[in-house]
Amino acid sequence: MACRTTCRLIQRRLSSTVAAAMAARPSVAELRGRRSEVFGREQARQRALYPRIEKIEVQVHGPGLNGTVLIMNKGLSTPLSCAKHLTEFHVTNSAVAMVDGELWSLNRPLTHSCSLSLLSFRDADPTLVNQAYWRSCASLLGQVMETSFKDDFIVDLLSAPELPVTSGAFCHNVVLDPRLDSWLPSEEALRSLSRGAQQLIHQNLVWEPLEVMPPVALEVFSHSRFKQEEVEKMAQESQQGTVTLYRCGDHVLLSAGPLVARTGLCNQYEVTAVHSLGPGPQGLQRRVQGLSLPLQLQAHHTVWRKLRARAERQVGVRNAPETSSPPPPPPPPLCKLTPERHTTSSV
Amino acid sequence: MRLTLQLFISHGRVARRIGLGPESRINILRNILTGLVRHERIETTTGRADEVRFYAEKLIDYAKKGDTDAKAMKMASFWLTEKDLVPKLFKVLAPRFETQPKGYTRMVRLPARMNLDRAKMAVLEYKGNPFPPLSPVRKENELTLINQLLKAYREERSELFAAKT
Repeated sequence: MACRTTCRLIQRRLSSTVAAAMAARPSVAELRGRRSEVFGREQARQRALYPRIEKIEVQVHGPGLNGTVLIMNKGLSTPLSCAKHLTEFHVTNSAVAMVDGELWSLNRPLTHSCSLSLLSFRDADPTLVNQAYWRSCASLLGQVMETSFKDDFIVDLLSAPELPVTSGAFCHNVVLDPRLDSWLPSEEALRSLSRGAQQLIHQNLVWEPLEVMPPVALEVFSHSRFKQEEVEKMAQESQQGTVTLYRCGDHVLLSAGPLVARTGLCNQYEVTAVHSLGPGPQGLQRRVQGLSLPLQLQAHHTVWRKLRARAERQVGVRNAPETSSPPPPPPPPLCKLTPERHTTSSV
Repeated sequence: MRLTLQLFISHGRVARRIGLGPESRINILRNILTGLVRHERIETTTGRADEVRFYAEKLIDYAKKGDTDAKAMKMASFWLTEKDLVPKLFKVLAPRFETQPKGYTRMVRLPARMNLDRAKMAVLEYKGNPFPPLSPVRKENELTLINQLLKAYREERSELFAAKT
């Protein structure tokens, strides 16, 4: 009984704070447009830094390519344009690039003479590619969550915790509109979310990277306190004091590492579960989970069903960054979707 | 070849007729077998490859008796028209198939010859040769995304199973 009253109190308080915030903030579409605009402006500024075309030499490494030297344009050519000089196989199958031993997005311009190798999903050791793919799928999940609700429902994207591939699912933390606190996503709802993701994949959108100084990133995420904190934390951790933004369509996101080249690399993609993480400072936190496989590695439907059943269970419970905030009070009973189970594979 | 019952029943036919007569047949087969021992992989018509295959296996069987065996040496010097191959037979091929009781050769069909007579072609080779494999070998990679997912799935299943029992 006491529990229920506290829950009601918390909910009421949260809803009042979020309602106040809602009155101040513009609609979702407007916000997306504004963020994309800031991103575009910064991208144009950075491109204008190279007014003259200068040439750099790129040494390509890979099976059958050793000794290949490409002469590319400084600040303009990307690893993808190097791949276009090779074969169609390299264009369609490369996910990320390795530039001088550093993982590099396929769409990020090369700034100096370097050695380049193109990484794909079927390499001898695709661990880095898998991580980048998992990260990209998680950010796609955030994009889907932001776009799938009606405009009057506010969706706040929190972080996308980095999970190992072996955990079985990627996830993205979100805070939904307080009106949706009692919402239990049905199977149809998950399916329509998956369909939203499939549409994004079908559009074959490019993840455009942009390395920016923190003030620009803070301007992009001016509406979200949580994202601003994340930007500041990332800027402190990075060596140059910059953060990397990515744009996919008109969705701008913050990423801890390189993403793969385009959404069309995903083939099978499904949103598998939405778990409640309990109330946080922004509202009721939920963890959306999904499972995806790239075009080059397709699973038979029986195998896919098994993996999907595994991806429904909550992942990364112990090392989630959100749980480091003050321990949440017992969640309201109506928000509890499933009994919390600690997956064995979570590190 | 063996499509009908009439063709299947041999009626005393144990070998194909090659060349101008029995002697010519043996000479042709000797030449092909010499080439096989020299190059370890040859390309010829299906019929000839199939005929030579028996003698190629038999020659290895003799060679495994060792170069001190009179019969083995006689066979080797008869079937290899180029005598520099006799040491190769005893020193290279015989030790290679030491542990193998039979099946020293491999025959693979090729597309029919298009330029001359559209003859059915085949590749005949001694196993364990240094050339790249005839058919592509499947690469198993434990580290790909789907294999990693499946590995974790299997591990979880076995843990669950162990916890139950």
